[in-house]
Amino acid sequence: MIPESNIACTPAGVQACLRIVSPPTSASRPVTVILVDDDRDRASLVEARLGEVGFEVLSVIPTAAGLLYQVAQREPDVVIIALDSPDRDVLESLSVTSAHNPRPVVMFSEAGDERFINDAIRAGVTAYQAEDISPARVRVAIDIAMAQFSAFSSLREELDDTRRQLAGRKLVEKAKGLLMAAHGVSEERAFATMRKLAMDKSRSLEETARDVIAILDGAELSGEDT
Amino acid sequence: MNDISRLAPAEKSSITLGFLRLTDSAPLIMAQELGLYERYGLQVQLQREVSWANVRDRVVIGDLDAAQMLAPLPLATSMGIGGMRADMLTGLALSLSGNAITLGEPLSAEIRARTTSTDAAATARALADCLAGGSRQVTLAAAHTFSCHILLLRRWLRAGGIQPQGDVNIIVLPPEQMVDSLSRGVIDGFCVGEPWNSIAVQQGVGSVQATGYQVWNNAPEKVLGVTESWHRLHPGTHLRLRLALMESCAWLADPANREEAARVLSQAHYLDLPLDNLTPSLSGRFTLRKGEPPIDCPHFHVFGRFQAGFPWRSDGEWLLHDMGALLGKSFGPDEIMSQVQRSFRTDLYREAARHLGIASPSQDYKSYDQHDTPWEFEPGIELGADRVLDVPQAQ
Repeated sequence: MIPESNIACTPAGVQACLRIVSPPTSASRPVTVILVDDDRDRASLVEARLGEVGFEVLSVIPTAAGLLYQVAQREPDVVIIALDSPDRDVLESLSVTSAHNPRPVVMFSEAGDERFINDAIRAGVTAYQAEDISPARVRVAIDIAMAQFSAFSSLREELDDTRRQLAGRKLVEKAKGLLMAAHGVSEERAFATMRKLAMDKSRSLEETARDVIAILDGAELSGEDT
Repeated sequence: MNDISRLAPAEKSSITLGFLRLTDSAPLIMAQELGLYERYGLQVQLQREVSWANVRDRVVIGDLDAAQMLAPLPLATSMGIGGMRADMLTGLALSLSGNAITLGEPLSAEIRARTTSTDAAATARALADCLAGGSRQVTLAAAHTFSCHILLLRRWLRAGGIQPQGDVNIIVLPPEQMVDSLSRGVIDGFCVGEPWNSIAVQQGVGSVQATGYQVWNNAPEKVLGVTESWHRLHPGTHLRLRLALMESCAWLADPANREEAARVLSQAHYLDLPLDNLTPSLSGRFTLRKGEPPIDCPHFHVFGRFQAGFPWRSDGEWLLHDMGALLGKSFGPDEIMSQVQRSFRTDLYREAARHLGIASPSQDYKSYDQHDTPWEFEPGIELGADRVLDVPQAQ
């Protein structure tokens, strides 16, 4: 059977591919990077920032399925991979199978200090680097990925906050509508009632809306009690 | 006897443990469900992880206090031969066996045409026949570089006269991608833990050609891994954790409890898989091919019997020796012995066993390939069969 191209680099194949050692990195040549992240938006952020400071991003791929092939073809200096990618074991097998050949890929931990590694892992970033490249230059790439990963998770939190606020506002609107229908009052009156209820019970407006909905919706369901 | 009040207090009572979506994560999960952690004064959060690399890294940086690990992983991490380096140890093994070798249906059909035997050496020889001529490219997957899966797969191939390096390609794939990759023809077979073999069988995309037990009876499989520094800072917590897990393993040793274990494991926050996927290996009534009646594999998973929890140093030496062979480097006997003594802490097992009032082996090393049936290692210490698949001398 002929395996699909994305996995054609089987260990025997990988060894063959990896025997091609990347050329010594000169200061003038940009450090080349392959980025593995299934979150495309986040990957674009990292890619753009890396490009801005002079790294050359060879490719951005969602899973390591195509990685063995990519590494063989493009010979990156660094592979940056999201911590939560299930494909990290695949990537590590690559650095191991090449152990008795020149090792182009080792985990950056061998070059970094412990605190830095811990911070990177907590930010969700792991990286593997070619042996012939200076750890200091790799570190910059990892720093950038960490910063972008963190920025992205703040963005996501903001988005979640906004969503929650919107949902809260919808609840208040619904409760207001129920109050207006149940008591035949105006919108302002219904809203004032809810504000007073919230203040009396020192609960948030959203929580009060929930209570109102539970009571009035429940009443509707149970029939003629109103 | 088991008097919990006599135990040293836990230095840390709220801890997080990592596990993967595998049937043999049962000891960690059932200890939670049975309230065993609580019994030992521990509040445990179970964290499902997606890769062994993640498990290792999170344990190393302290995000996880301890985790279920492939038996070779604490050794590989201590030696720094894959990813991150850190001193790691285990004081408790969690399970023996639990794996199988499955080939896709096209190849399985060819093997059936050559042999009707379910003997592991016979199916390996039949595969060798299929490969004769050397024009076929066969790709097989295992779940991790430093796993018993690769060692079992290589041994099975060699038993059939197949060279693992050269005659076939062996790659690493995450367990959860195995069945899909097999059905799409990306790979031709795999060696992986349950339930992924049973899922391939149930979907009709593959047939089991050898159980892990057939290749190496009662082989070491998963261990409880911690860093050496975590152990030094939390000896009391570590002991309580081992005791809770030993009780969980003892509970799992009773076949009557396996059905309940399967029900619990199938839940969304644990393995999130249908019950039918989990029962074959846990019940020991294992189906090799879709539509065929199950066969008896009472020791498919061993959690509590046969001193399963004891981290034999002879197991550790075997694993490290084979890993060296895999890497194309040979570790010296002294290097192997001292690393294993540091990482496979039989003294920690005995400490826990004494507290539970159960007997434990007085020796750290045992023989292999001598017994077809359970046997008495020392008075009151029963070990399981220990046959290992023969590799022809020409190899």
